[in-house]
Amino acid sequence: MSRPFRFPWLLAYAISYLIFLYLPVLLLPLFSFNDGTIVAFPMKGFTLKWYALLGAQDTLLQAMVNSLIVGAVTAVVATSLGLFAARAYVRYRFKGRDISEGLVMLPLVIPGIIVASSMLVLFISLGLKPSLTTVILGHVFVALPFAVSIMKSAFDDFDQSLEEAAFDLGESVIGTFRRVTLPIVAPGIVASLLVTFTVSFDEFVLAFFLSGNQPTLPVYIWSQIRFPAKLPNTLALGSLLLLASVLLLLTAEYFRRRSSKSA
Amino acid sequence: MTTQNIIEISGVEKRFGTFVAVRDLNLELKEGEFFSLLGPSGCGKTTALRMIAGFQDHDEGTIRIGGQDMAHIPANKRPANMVFQSYAIFPHLNVGDNVAFGLRKLKLTKAGINDRVAEALEMVELGGLQSRKATELSGGQRQRVALARALVMRPKVLLLDEPLSALDKNLREAMQFEMRRLQQKLGITFVMVTHDQYEAMTMSDRIGVMFKGQLKQVDKPEVLYARPCSREVAAFIGGMNFLDAAVTGEADGKLQAQVQGFGPLTIDVNSNVAQRGPQLLAGIRPEQLEISAQKPEGYDGYLQGTVTNAAFYGENVHYHVTADGLQQPIAVSVPNYFHTVDHKQGDPVWLGVQNASVIDLGTREA
Repeated sequence: MSRPFRFPWLLAYAISYLIFLYLPVLLLPLFSFNDGTIVAFPMKGFTLKWYALLGAQDTLLQAMVNSLIVGAVTAVVATSLGLFAARAYVRYRFKGRDISEGLVMLPLVIPGIIVASSMLVLFISLGLKPSLTTVILGHVFVALPFAVSIMKSAFDDFDQSLEEAAFDLGESVIGTFRRVTLPIVAPGIVASLLVTFTVSFDEFVLAFFLSGNQPTLPVYIWSQIRFPAKLPNTLALGSLLLLASVLLLLTAEYFRRRSSKSA
Repeated sequence: MTTQNIIEISGVEKRFGTFVAVRDLNLELKEGEFFSLLGPSGCGKTTALRMIAGFQDHDEGTIRIGGQDMAHIPANKRPANMVFQSYAIFPHLNVGDNVAFGLRKLKLTKAGINDRVAEALEMVELGGLQSRKATELSGGQRQRVALARALVMRPKVLLLDEPLSALDKNLREAMQFEMRRLQQKLGITFVMVTHDQYEAMTMSDRIGVMFKGQLKQVDKPEVLYARPCSREVAAFIGGMNFLDAAVTGEADGKLQAQVQGFGPLTIDVNSNVAQRGPQLLAGIRPEQLEISAQKPEGYDGYLQGTVTNAAFYGENVHYHVTADGLQQPIAVSVPNYFHTVDHKQGDPVWLGVQNASVIDLGTREA
């Protein structure tokens, strides 16, 4: 349904809001093509050299590999945990269900700096040195709420009698899960993997505290921003990350919608 | 004919917390029987079915299938298969793979599986549709696939949970006959749960009526209709006029009673009712009454009244008739012969009833 705007100032508000929100983000790719090191107008000319330079930096590539490892492991762990938790939340009525669901979702609102510093203290007192492992543990914590809510929407539309029918036809509990539950919620699983990967890939605060001498990509970018000569290079890297994140989330959204339609 | 009991349920009770869903259920079902559990929603009929299937444990009593105690035997090991209300067709599999689902667990060759799938689909008149996607099926086809998927397992008992409630009226009536035909051909015991009295009556050999977790009466459809055991059973199956009556004498299985509005009548004793006192509840089916502008000949009891309501239903015409001393108008249903509604609102009419049409429903509750 569309109708002409009755309040012109509302339209003006909406537009200025969007500009405020997205202009800084759009400036990033813009200056990554600027042939000069100073981020200011007027721009000097178009170039792709900043992108070309990215491939030659070993520390950057290492940070990229670190991020991919952390993101992949986080995605698999958080999605597996989210799958089982979501099935329990949707299917069963048990004592403490609401509280446990609230606690699982809590990382969405806890300040990252608090979580990061407490985790650092905890891990060090446990004898776990800052490394990719500690980053993964931290990222599973923040990615779990996303996995749970995506898997919950996948299970919401799942007719329980499908599992009963499989069991009734002689299949075992595990066989039922493998032959019926998994294939039907598969699109939800893919969506959850992509979203949790993106959450981990973009996360900075926890990675900054917990990564030690194995920086992830955002931590590497932060370390490079201090050198003005390298700024355009960093902008090019940032633009690529932005593009990758948007594409991943769009794909995830496509799978999430497919999962709620199929059942 | 030697027909053995295939299902024996004795003293079964199921509680959810403090709520008793099924109370003291006793039931014996014969091999090759089509049995329906009929009752309003929430009466415990689905819980009873799910206990037979093995999806719910029972708290008391025993359930036997084919002589074997089913306690601690899970649903996937029981010789019973179920057709679910939602049909539960696996959306990610095609028709053939849906039907073959349970066969994969048996030690069969690929050709053996294919033969049995083809045979089962043939049986439900979906021959050759193996590669059709589950999402492309109509409601009626989904129902047939669900039937084929359960029957292909060759169960001793087929359990059906409201199997026709998702279909529209015409399809439902066609499927009633088809399922009955299939059941008789295969000779498998069917246990169906339904809230639809007509569905239960047209398909079943016997019907069990449940209210509030208790099985109230188990009988053939005709007996259930002619001699219900109580007011609630009588009211649930078909239409019924309830009239107060006073018993004046009893002899040779017959009651002499003064029936409200109709005067003295002779009523057959109904052996299904639990108790009978001087204050009797009498029942008359709407279609067993004669309605006429003049006093009709040859009836045992008459009532003179006024039409308060006339409605044309197509295959029959329904009237409501009041008279002095009646708390409720009397419902009358007459077949439609000439596509006319013969009596209008406000018309004076005579009602006539035969002794044999009056049903003894036991002691009237005050």
